[in-house]
Amino acid sequence: VKKTDPPRLAIWLLTRRLSAEWRDFVVGDLEEEFATRSGSSPVAAHFWLWWQTMRCLAAPPPVRRSRLPLGSSQRDSRMRTVFADVRYAFRVMFRTPSFAVAVVSVLALGIGANTTIFSIVNAVLLRPLPFEEPERLVRIFTRTPGGRLFELSPGKFYDWQRDARSFEGMAMYQCCGFRELALTGTGAARTVRATAVSAGFFEVVRARPALGRVFRQEEDTPGGRYVVVLSERFWRAEFGGNPDVIGRTVKLNDEPYTIVGVMPATASVASWTAMASDVWVPLALTDEQRADRGNHNRYGAGRLKRDVELAQAQAEMDAISARLAREFPTSDDRWGAVVIPMQEEIVGNSRTMLLMLLGAVGLVLLIACANVGNLLFTRALSRRKEIAIRSALGAGRGRVFQQLLTEALLLAGAGGALGLLLAYGTLTSASTLLASQVPRAEEISIDGPVLLFAVGVSMLTGMLAGTLPAVRAGRSDLNDALKEGGLSDGAIGVGTRRLLIVCEVALSLVLLMGAGVMIQSLLALRHGDTGFDPNNVLTMRVRLVDARYPSPVQRSSFFDAALQRIRALPGVEAAGTINDLPFADGSSQTLHLEGYPPQREPVAVQVRQITPGYLRAMGIPVQRGRDVVDSDAEVLLVSQDAVKLYWGEDDPIERRAALPFSKTVLRQVVGIVGDVKQRSLTEGPTPTAYYYTREPSGRATFVVRTSVPPAALAQPVVAAIRAIDPEQPVVDIRTMVQVLDDKLTPQRFSALLLGVFAGVALLLAAVGIYSVLSYIVRGRSREIGIRRALGARTSDVLRLVIVEGMSPVLVGVAAGTIAALASAKVMRTLVFGVSASDPLTLTAVGATLALVALMASLVPAYRALRLDPVRVLRAD
Amino acid sequence: MWFKASAPVLGDFEQLVLLGVLRLEREDASYGAAIRQEIHARSGRDVSINAVYTTLDRLESKGFLKSWVGDPTPQRGGRRRKFYALCPAGVAALRQAYRAFTAMADGLQSRLELK
Repeated sequence: VKKTDPPRLAIWLLTRRLSAEWRDFVVGDLEEEFATRSGSSPVAAHFWLWWQTMRCLAAPPPVRRSRLPLGSSQRDSRMRTVFADVRYAFRVMFRTPSFAVAVVSVLALGIGANTTIFSIVNAVLLRPLPFEEPERLVRIFTRTPGGRLFELSPGKFYDWQRDARSFEGMAMYQCCGFRELALTGTGAARTVRATAVSAGFFEVVRARPALGRVFRQEEDTPGGRYVVVLSERFWRAEFGGNPDVIGRTVKLNDEPYTIVGVMPATASVASWTAMASDVWVPLALTDEQRADRGNHNRYGAGRLKRDVELAQAQAEMDAISARLAREFPTSDDRWGAVVIPMQEEIVGNSRTMLLMLLGAVGLVLLIACANVGNLLFTRALSRRKEIAIRSALGAGRGRVFQQLLTEALLLAGAGGALGLLLAYGTLTSASTLLASQVPRAEEISIDGPVLLFAVGVSMLTGMLAGTLPAVRAGRSDLNDALKEGGLSDGAIGVGTRRLLIVCEVALSLVLLMGAGVMIQSLLALRHGDTGFDPNNVLTMRVRLVDARYPSPVQRSSFFDAALQRIRALPGVEAAGTINDLPFADGSSQTLHLEGYPPQREPVAVQVRQITPGYLRAMGIPVQRGRDVVDSDAEVLLVSQDAVKLYWGEDDPIERRAALPFSKTVLRQVVGIVGDVKQRSLTEGPTPTAYYYTREPSGRATFVVRTSVPPAALAQPVVAAIRAIDPEQPVVDIRTMVQVLDDKLTPQRFSALLLGVFAGVALLLAAVGIYSVLSYIVRGRSREIGIRRALGARTSDVLRLVIVEGMSPVLVGVAAGTIAALASAKVMRTLVFGVSASDPLTLTAVGATLALVALMASLVPAYRALRLDPVRVLRAD
Repeated sequence: MWFKASAPVLGDFEQLVLLGVLRLEREDASYGAAIRQEIHARSGRDVSINAVYTTLDRLESKGFLKSWVGDPTPQRGGRRRKFYALCPAGVAALRQAYRAFTAMADGLQSRLELK
């Protein structure tokens, strides 16, 4: 049998606490008995030892012969006072366990929720990225003439890289959308997340390989060898972590790549796509591509020099952009450059949402504080006699205050410990949910700062909830308290209690309002008009590999054949493809109209490549003209808004226009279609041009409208595609409803959390109103009895109690309305399709709160009615 | 004196501790943990070790007990034991308490449902 050692912390605490006189005997006895007990049940032995330890810590055997030096006696006595207070507080807590359970669970709820949200905020907003000096890492964007942030074109990037002096290094990369390489030749075909990076990328990030090396300058050229750096994850999955992989080859897109290095696991950052890659390959642009200034489809990153501020770097980039605009007026006029800290870019829109949630959960804690304060207050008053006796025996007000505060802090400490457990449980069980909701979710954990936060919040809560009762109780009149049958408790502190109700109701109203508009916003986004019909639509993505499908004819015939097979499947109503689905970032370009002068301020429209069948599959209506058909070649469809932007009042059908990437091809407009929310759910419909070409790119999303539940057709559709090319990876199989839902996860996440917080707040407020009112009714029972004896009717008593309860509630609703209107400013950026200060929601929320308060005051009112006047009056 | 009892009165817990010492001192095992276990096993009261030592210390200072320190043993993590034994005054006090109890309870066995 393995010998169990006694818990070292307990032994250490005991040796610290016990005097030298007793240490050996007590600790020795405990160790001895622990050893016997752990033979039968180690767990029970631990419990037993801790129980004994706590008792010893609270009241150790007395020191008989004091050997302490004189100087420390004062400190010692103060410490003893504290120990005595703690001991007494423990005793009080165990004497009335139901009270302790109520207070501790309310606090645990509040502190647990706060700790959970704080640990998310800590991981996402506060903790730096896992790279060397992450504060110097920046993302570099272009600013379009329209003022939007956009990705880079190589021409501009290389000019910036050459001229900017504020940067230690600058690098360009291309993400998944463009370089998702299919891994072939090793079993089943699958897609590898790859990032193509320019030379110097890893130096900018400061990611050092665990094995081998990173790319050399000469490998970032089109003639260079095909080389690849693996991520740790990919290396383990595909090569079993074999250190001899350097120099071996892996087949990507049917081309052999030589492995030159492996990145360590610490270099993987799930929230930054460039570093979430499976593999990295050199960007290797041709000279022609390097000079391209019009195609903005590469990402930029940089590292600032050590002594350079962000503003300095931005100013320098502005100056360079202005010079380039003069140098290249056709491509660079009115384009700018924007430098943004990497952390800010990754955290992005989550910041407002997370801070709002932190604020909301803080309100929940305040309500919990008010509740606990009320409970402690009631308790302090019921112990008025005890406190009065203490005062009569010479306890100063400070002493009484310290005693009561110690009790509050002890309860808060217990609540905090339980809350921490609650937070840990929540984070563990919700980790998968979180991963889809917030960036950097994989880094969420309970670490030092979170522990510190939990301890700080617990102490603060204890002080907040404990101070008011302690001050008020210390102030009560000695004579009065000691007199038997003196003024009953109910008459004391009623004002304070009403104030607590006002606060609770006001805070709850703010939370309910937030949750209300958030849920409405979610519903508005979910069921709002997107311009297409998302029900019964199945989507999946393919990317044809250049090496297997080098010519446009081959690609075109692949898609034709696949669509033909899919349309033949039972349950399929329509099928087509598009290069980028709505809400997936796609190309944005300006049209060149034949026969019109070039626009003075060209506006970009969304440009999508489709095949016949797409519009029907998505349920996008053709307003005028016709849909594209198989026999067409190089034709255009334009949405209504795009017509207004480019042709104004003219009829575009039969006219021709060119797209900027193939200016020589004039495409005839054959139809006008409905507007669709192409870019995001939260923005309005986007003007869009669709083109159908016989020379499609290899990247396409199949869109299939079904007459049966779409998920049921996923396997047959994949099989139909694979029947043409068994090695072709098919990814991202989702229904269109799922695509919408995925897009709404941040909104759903915050609506869910706010809803939970508001529910908890409402519950706490109801409990608070109930307990305060019961207390008041109990205190005024004599008065009610006298009134009844003098002939007061049931309705009079009912009115008395309900007015008593509802008046602070109504004041609270008024105060809460003002606070909710003030906080609407924060909510405005987070809600869509509904006003953050929507009067209807506000009214509904106020009414709900008042109704709940009324229900909470009914039980005390009923109790007041049942008071027997004879018995109440005889009690005196 | 007429108003003073012949021996100081013992508290309820003090009686248990003294009886524990009396039971264990013959086996040279009358130290804290053994006394605690003896009380637990016989009376069912699972008391804390600090309470046992606090009481032992008080009884010693009243002159009912005497104590000595044993050698360190390995199963106690190399710590020493403190043994206790009854002084004559302790025996007298226990005797008085026992007599008082039995005298008062005499004839009441059936009322107390003690068989």
